[in-house]
Amino acid sequence: MRSTRRLALGASILASLAIAGTAGGGAIVTAQDQPTVVVGSDAFYESVLAAEIYAQALEAEGYPVDRAGLAIGARPARLAAFESGQINLMPEYIGFGLEFFTRGTDASEEIAAIETSGNAEADAQSLQSVFDALDYNATVLGVSAGQDTNAAVVRPDTAEEFGLSAMSDLAAVQDELRFGLPPECEANAPCRGALEDAYGITWPPAQLSALPACGAEIAGALEGNAIDVAWLCSTQPIIAQNGWIVLADDLETQPPGNLAPVISNELLDQIDGGADSVAAILDPISAQLTTDVLTELGVRIAVDQEDPEDVAAEFLAGLSE
Amino acid sequence: MEQMIAFLTDPANWQDQAGIPNRLIEHLTISLLAVACASAIALALGFYIGHTGKLQLLGINLANIGRAVPSYAVMVMLLPVMLGLAPVLGYDPQIGLRFLPIFLAMLFLAVPPILVATYAGIQQVDRDLTESSRGMGMTERQILTRVELPLASAVIVGGFRVALLQVIATATIGAFLAGGGLGRYIVDGIALRDNGMLYAGVLLVAGLAIGTDVLLSWLQRRLTPRGVRLATESSPTTAELA
Amino acid sequence: MIEIRWDWILNHLDDVVDKTWQHLILLLIPMVVGFAIAFALAILAMRRPGTVGPVTAVTGLLYTIPSLAAFAVLIPITGLTLMTAIIPLTTYTLLILYVNTVAGLRSVPPEVNEAADAMGYTHTSRLLRVQLPLAVPLIMAGVRVAAVTTIGLVTVSAIIGGQLFGGLGQFITEGLQTDFDTKIYLGAMGSVVLAFLVDGALVTLQRWLTPWARARSEVP
Repeated sequence: MRSTRRLALGASILASLAIAGTAGGGAIVTAQDQPTVVVGSDAFYESVLAAEIYAQALEAEGYPVDRAGLAIGARPARLAAFESGQINLMPEYIGFGLEFFTRGTDASEEIAAIETSGNAEADAQSLQSVFDALDYNATVLGVSAGQDTNAAVVRPDTAEEFGLSAMSDLAAVQDELRFGLPPECEANAPCRGALEDAYGITWPPAQLSALPACGAEIAGALEGNAIDVAWLCSTQPIIAQNGWIVLADDLETQPPGNLAPVISNELLDQIDGGADSVAAILDPISAQLTTDVLTELGVRIAVDQEDPEDVAAEFLAGLSE
Repeated sequence: MEQMIAFLTDPANWQDQAGIPNRLIEHLTISLLAVACASAIALALGFYIGHTGKLQLLGINLANIGRAVPSYAVMVMLLPVMLGLAPVLGYDPQIGLRFLPIFLAMLFLAVPPILVATYAGIQQVDRDLTESSRGMGMTERQILTRVELPLASAVIVGGFRVALLQVIATATIGAFLAGGGLGRYIVDGIALRDNGMLYAGVLLVAGLAIGTDVLLSWLQRRLTPRGVRLATESSPTTAELA
Repeated sequence: MIEIRWDWILNHLDDVVDKTWQHLILLLIPMVVGFAIAFALAILAMRRPGTVGPVTAVTGLLYTIPSLAAFAVLIPITGLTLMTAIIPLTTYTLLILYVNTVAGLRSVPPEVNEAADAMGYTHTSRLLRVQLPLAVPLIMAGVRVAAVTTIGLVTVSAIIGGQLFGGLGQFITEGLQTDFDTKIYLGAMGSVVLAFLVDGALVTLQRWLTPWARARSEVP
């Protein structure tokens, strides 16, 4: 942790203790009473930002937050950390999280039958029922208005050469295209499932480069003409910066990528008021995280290279005005 | 553990491009290539330094630089450079993506042990032998090839052993930049949280490293002239020593 | 092509210090623990030469496990803690520290050992006062290589560790997430510079430990 943050955390703990000491007890949340929230996220800046926003919002209410699990890896790694109790709060892209479970290879019949509706609220409830069915001990809190989804991106010259404007155009020329996909694509229904089942791409693609999701390597590979089709995150500023073409998802394979905090029931049991207390803090914030806001904050992080902590702090400060 | 066995016994994993035999070959190929290219540089320089005693400082510094550069960092720094050079030098950008960065990182890693082993090995040859060879009328090159080299060969092979061992382990990182080889199982295993694949990858890399090390240690023992006693066992890293 | 924002670095010096400090901790603990274990095993090797083969084999086996895999494998076991990084980092130092310590102790000429015995040194004091000082060059050679190698491996641990370990390597992974050259180069070059500084410090340490060797030009 940065020393300034340590200082801030220490100061806030002291301050809360002082307030609790003078108040009549009970009414004000003190750092001593609250269990430690261990927050985690995917290794992608938007996920880190969301987790950071949740963390700071909870810290402001006196919860001690440990950021040990930030940027822990791809979804499978993050979920494994959550399952094993190493993290107890994480941002999840609802539709994608849902499909990870319902279209995974070891999904039970009951779970596999659950369909993604395309409506964020409905899908959040579906995800909750999946968690309940799996004894996952997790609660899905309020869904954000904004979303981030997968984007199959090509350079303008590639689009022109092969006449590509939608993802269905890929199948016809797939042998001549070099694909850049994250290694976890295989387990990711909206990635592999969409490409293979909906868009007719043979799996694995003949010319495949496995590169970390939504990072500089895959963007650099597309830019440097080492790959032709890159699987990026739709809010990545570099797409617009380089004038790249996002192929239309004409068969609507991508689920809504709205963000929602997922919190472990074990943690909730230790909090006065349980899910309602936490929802009271986080839901209003999620409601303000529209796609425009996510994009704008993303630009500040991925283009202006501001720190997620600062961007999150300013966003939260702006809300309370 | 059972997942690992399941992965290794699944016949699907032994076929095609993503299969174990192919990945083994990919891994071994790039490792041997890196060691071969490193040798070209390291042997030549090592012979010169060992035989003439000049440029010792250069040799030491080169070895230090090669060792100090963390492979992951080098690979990442080289990616945009190698991609950018592709149109200029006319090679396929895919090579600039999945081959050159990791290959160069491995090269940096392989040069120091071979270089140090070569000049140290030659320097430890008894000066009396070289002097008497000179007295017998041998040329410098003959002294190098007929006297110093055979006597130093065991130590030099020791350097190869260290280099190959480090290179085989490091080649796994290349899988981050779309590379192949056994690292693919490790990187994919981590991303997919597939422990069977991950452990299988570890086992295969370890097996490959140990196998090649055993082979080279046999070679090293064969090359130790009878009657010449090395002060230490023929263990890999004594070649690192002065 | 590659632009470095020095103003960013200046604004984040506390971050740089934090991560360098973490990098050093992840260097020092494995080195100290690794050396302790290797030294104990080396002393065992002097008493029981038969152990050299098996110990070299085991430490060598540990060495062949790719670092990335070792870090990933340990997370479910040791959790999101520094131990997940420290354990593999320690085991990677064992091979070279052990081999070099054994070689160093054995490099002491038998005549010197005999002379020490004749002078009445006990086994232990002979070890500490005679053999060990003479073994320093070879031991330090191993320490230097182990230290520099460990620094490199710490950067690899950043891939797995999120924000938890990885030292300067964290700048590399974070820079890759947002395509930020400054951070990438800060992390990468920072690790290299750190390696050089540590190596230089160790060379100085070696010279201080072996004043009698200054006259001769030792190969480091």
